[in-house]
Amino acid sequence: MTSVTTAVPAATAVTTGRASRLGKGARITLFYLLLLIIALIFILPYVMSIFGAFKPLSAILSQSPLRPPSPPTLANFKTIFTQYDFGRYLANTLLVTVILTAGQVTFSLMGAYAFARMEFPGRDSLFWLYLMTLMVPNIVTLVPLYVLFAHSHLLNTYWAIFLPYVLGVPFSVFLMRQYFMTIPKEVMEAARLDGCSEGRILWRIVVPISRPIIITATLLAFVFGWNNFMWPLIVTNSNSLNVLTVGIANFNSNFSVQWNLILAGALVALIPMVILFAIFQKHIVNSISLTGINR
Amino acid sequence: MSVAAAATTTIPKQEHVETASKADRRRVRTAFAFLAPSLLGVILFLVIPIILVIFLSLVQWNLLTPMKWVGLSNYLNIFKYDGFGHSLAVTAYYVILNIPIQTAFALGMAMLLRRKMAGSGVIRVIAVLPFLATPVAMGVVWNWVFNPSTGLVNQFLGHLGITGPAWLSNEATAMPVIAFANIWQYAGYNMLFFLAGLGAIPLTMYEAASIDGASKWEQFRRVTLPLLRPTMLFVLVTGVIGSFQVFDTVYVMTAGGPGNATEVASLNIYNTAFAGFRIGEASAMSVVLFLVILAITIAQFRYFNKRITYEIA
Repeated sequence: MTSVTTAVPAATAVTTGRASRLGKGARITLFYLLLLIIALIFILPYVMSIFGAFKPLSAILSQSPLRPPSPPTLANFKTIFTQYDFGRYLANTLLVTVILTAGQVTFSLMGAYAFARMEFPGRDSLFWLYLMTLMVPNIVTLVPLYVLFAHSHLLNTYWAIFLPYVLGVPFSVFLMRQYFMTIPKEVMEAARLDGCSEGRILWRIVVPISRPIIITATLLAFVFGWNNFMWPLIVTNSNSLNVLTVGIANFNSNFSVQWNLILAGALVALIPMVILFAIFQKHIVNSISLTGINR
Repeated sequence: MSVAAAATTTIPKQEHVETASKADRRRVRTAFAFLAPSLLGVILFLVIPIILVIFLSLVQWNLLTPMKWVGLSNYLNIFKYDGFGHSLAVTAYYVILNIPIQTAFALGMAMLLRRKMAGSGVIRVIAVLPFLATPVAMGVVWNWVFNPSTGLVNQFLGHLGITGPAWLSNEATAMPVIAFANIWQYAGYNMLFFLAGLGAIPLTMYEAASIDGASKWEQFRRVTLPLLRPTMLFVLVTGVIGSFQVFDTVYVMTAGGPGNATEVASLNIYNTAFAGFRIGEASAMSVVLFLVILAITIAQFRYFNKRITYEIA
């Protein structure tokens, strides 16, 4: 009787084992099929626009978007850089984005250090002020900022494009402050006893051990500056000051059937970001995760 | 907590008041010097504009002629004459199309890539690439992909014998296509937060659940989802705040059309302020949009706060 009762579970164990092994093969196939579909969804738009940007207009209109250009032509890029001002747009974008990033990271870093590891009257209430403004959506300050810039005669200057973001932004201050809070106080106190100035402590001790969060802030500022559209669109109205996003949008509304040139223009903005991504992909993936930790 | 910390640190300081006051004063000066640039930025570009936008919403002004005080009438007129109610409804429709699918897609991918298998690391990286893509540049690419005659989508549908619609000039399909563009851009980005959240759930939770006889679906519903609530809150709050301000892709893909079918709130603000030069009305719209975003954010926090009862240490 005991032998019967033990035999039954043994039998079921065998059959479920076989079922799950069969299921495992199917599941792995399904897994990789899903991975392939996901990869295609994210990569295909890039591939198509690269193909299109290297084709003449006639080929774009007659061929499948998925067919590689044969032979690839640089004529579209030549046109947008010589007959139109994409060289200028690219240079403007680089200039403005580099200034914006350098200023925003440096000044946010200094503010974050003061909030995290220095003592001064009103620190907590000032930090609350930063937290409150952190929640204000960009669109809300758009019209009054424009009015302020118009009154200061700053419209249509390079300054106008980066000034609202270059002095440091609350999000960046908050992000780095949270990170600095994890550095033991004793480290700074020991340095102070050794006669180190606060500036020296920041640059020689805090910055080297906070590289991950500084890289995060730098990447976020750079991507923001590079992709920013609404603000440059509003504060500049001369072609010589246009950044890439504004240049592409104007080009799109003026030459909406010239897909070859439009795609080439779009790639001028997209490709540097892909290169940035290829170089810093590990950092970028970790960076984004870091911004979520401080929720 | 910070108040308590400040209180405990001030006590030893007062004992050394005579000897350390000079050094203290210097340190306070240094602290304010460090803080000055970002504080100036916060005051000039955030605090003052917020006060200014409320003031401007109460006047009639075209930037050139003198302002005229009109009280609250802008707040009525934007709904009566400027279709701002329609814009808010269209924006809400966009958010409803966008957020649930984007969040489900992000969570689905995170569940799929959760276990380290060959190839999953590569996909993880690829999925994040669109986060960097310039929305304006992607907008023109999508214009081409959804072009009725030369676009990939209708060419593909043509092979199946289906005549695809003129996606972006059709009232029914324009907004879903814009939502698709946004989902494509941010699904991988949000996936990273879910992956981090999933990584923090101890495996013993699942072992305990499966010993209790919970199926995979029950484990997902009763273990995974409840423990992911903090991540879910973060993803939803940031996603909703961002989506309510959508501008770049709409500007490039439809410019608010066909008709005003995709005239989202930010586009209405832009047109009112910088094409119509009616600063008062545009400011009133900005204040209303701010209040809407604020109310929804608070509602999300309340909903989740009631339900987040435990945390994983």
